[in-house]
Amino acid sequence: MKNSRTLTIFRVALLWAAGISVLFPVVWIALASVKTPEQLNDPFLFSFAPTLDGWRNVLSSGILAAAGRSAIVAVTTVGISVVVGSMGAYAIARYRAGGTATRFGMLAAQVLPPAVLVFPFLTMAYALRLNDTLVPVIFAHLSFVLPVVTWFLIGFFEAVPRSLEEQAQVDGFTRFQAFRLVVLPQVFPGMGAAAIFGFTLSWNDLFYGLILAPGKAAILPVAIAGFNTFRGVQIGSMSAAILIAVVPVVVASFFIQRRLVQGISGGAVKF
Amino acid sequence: MAIVRFSGVNKSFRSTSVVSDLNLELPDGSFTVLVGPSGCGKSTSLRMLAGLESVTSGTITIGDRDVTNLQPRDRDVAMVFQNYALYPHLSVRENIAFPLRASKEPRANALKRADEVAESLGLAKLLDRKPKALSGGQQQRVAIGRAIIREPSVFLFDEPLSNLDAKLRVETRTELLQIQRRLGITCLYVTHDQEEAMTLSDRMVVMRDGRAAQVGTPIEVFNSPVDTFVAAFVGSPKMNLIAGELSGETCTLPSGFALTVGRVKASGAVTLGVRPDDLVPTVADDADAMVKLVELLGPRAIVTVDARGTDLTCVVEAARLSGITEGTRVALSARPGAVHVFDAKTGQRFVGTDRENYNTDGNESRS
Repeated sequence: MKNSRTLTIFRVALLWAAGISVLFPVVWIALASVKTPEQLNDPFLFSFAPTLDGWRNVLSSGILAAAGRSAIVAVTTVGISVVVGSMGAYAIARYRAGGTATRFGMLAAQVLPPAVLVFPFLTMAYALRLNDTLVPVIFAHLSFVLPVVTWFLIGFFEAVPRSLEEQAQVDGFTRFQAFRLVVLPQVFPGMGAAAIFGFTLSWNDLFYGLILAPGKAAILPVAIAGFNTFRGVQIGSMSAAILIAVVPVVVASFFIQRRLVQGISGGAVKF
Repeated sequence: MAIVRFSGVNKSFRSTSVVSDLNLELPDGSFTVLVGPSGCGKSTSLRMLAGLESVTSGTITIGDRDVTNLQPRDRDVAMVFQNYALYPHLSVRENIAFPLRASKEPRANALKRADEVAESLGLAKLLDRKPKALSGGQQQRVAIGRAIIREPSVFLFDEPLSNLDAKLRVETRTELLQIQRRLGITCLYVTHDQEEAMTLSDRMVVMRDGRAAQVGTPIEVFNSPVDTFVAAFVGSPKMNLIAGELSGETCTLPSGFALTVGRVKASGAVTLGVRPDDLVPTVADDADAMVKLVELLGPRAIVTVDARGTDLTCVVEAARLSGITEGTRVALSARPGAVHVFDAKTGQRFVGTDRENYNTDGNESRS
């Protein structure tokens, strides 16, 4: 009895420790976003008169436009990834298309440092006069979102019994109709999760945006990095901008956490 | 409604032959059952007719259409899968109406037809449920409803009853037969259960290693099995197959045990087939066979007899069981005219040794 109580106390303590270490940076940033630069020098300052200077500064700096551009990039990337990825994942799940090499090799882009890929993208963008637009950023994001989405969906497609689409074919439908009307609806939850997962990947990416569209087409992470000026880091404004960036990701993760585990384990465990 | 023909159909996966030289005709409105042990090619044959497997060589026709290379959707067949393959995201009504969506039937019409079909199958109260909220038997009916709504040329069933419990299986079997009789649609049904095959079929096809070992009515197959494989496969409990030397009215086993078999038009080394129902044990203290096991099944009992090292099975009416208990010494005799004689080497049936009451030629019913 006593033993299990000690254990319970230990568990709760551990959870609190984990919770605090995860939440502390967020709380610190939230506080920093309403502090004046002088107050920022005192990290232990918890009671102070909040100022909205940082927020005003951020909102007038075009951060919302940057967030809009980020949203365009993320939504376009995810849209293409889900359509193409679901077809690819289906082919890999059903027909072992490309063999084991494709199935696991498609994650190779994740293994390469982005720096390897960014310069080819940049030179191509220059050649096509598309540098500092969203187009190369979208293509660069596709290079890592599409494989992840595809890989993520394979497990979901494998869980759909083959007899279901055979039934649809016998019932008078073409193979593509069987895929669209019968197989796809079974994997909708997985596709939703994959879409949100892909969205956060694209939304959070700084590197490609920074190189491919550093100027007028800057996306949100690039704009946030812009608060690191030659006069030093504007921590207050930057914190406000970070909060703007974090909210969609937190909301999204809340909705997909269970499917996320399912997708990742489903893709990883079954060979 | 149509005649279905398999003409010289072969199927191989890479170099492995799964179905070889299958020639089969399903008469219009008939109920044909393909039966055989697992891996005998019965499901593959069915799937070739459905268009879900390609045909390596040979042709398949439905009516006067050659469907060998048609897509499943163009064959006008309906199929019930072993796992029912109900669409999980659709309600019972939409599931049944689904095939009509393919034929561009107006939605309202399709749903109305689905309601009628569901009504006839006793599913009226379940129309708005999703498949996962149904019992196995109900799912089965939905699958049948979806098959009949389109009034196809041919019905295909791939072991549709094997996921049901024993009681429900017998009920559904009867029901299935009634539906088929009512609609008069040609049926091809696959099962590994010989009892199911016997009760359902007009014609049964016993398959072995990708070939049709025997084609005939259940009674023909039961009474005149063409070889020892069919003889052992059809009937329960299994037919006794005894290797022995036949001379006069006695068959002598290698162990020296002598079995009285009545008059048989054959002699020499044979494999003798005796159905358990035709093997009669009689209590005799000086006999050299001994009752090993008695399994009572209500009106009948299965009696296993040890005949000098060979186990033989008899089925005895419970009323005649008196005196027969484990350890009793018994003499065995086959009912006159009830023995099947097979070639000792090839296992093929000897012609002219059929039971007298059903004088069918084993060779003719083979195809």
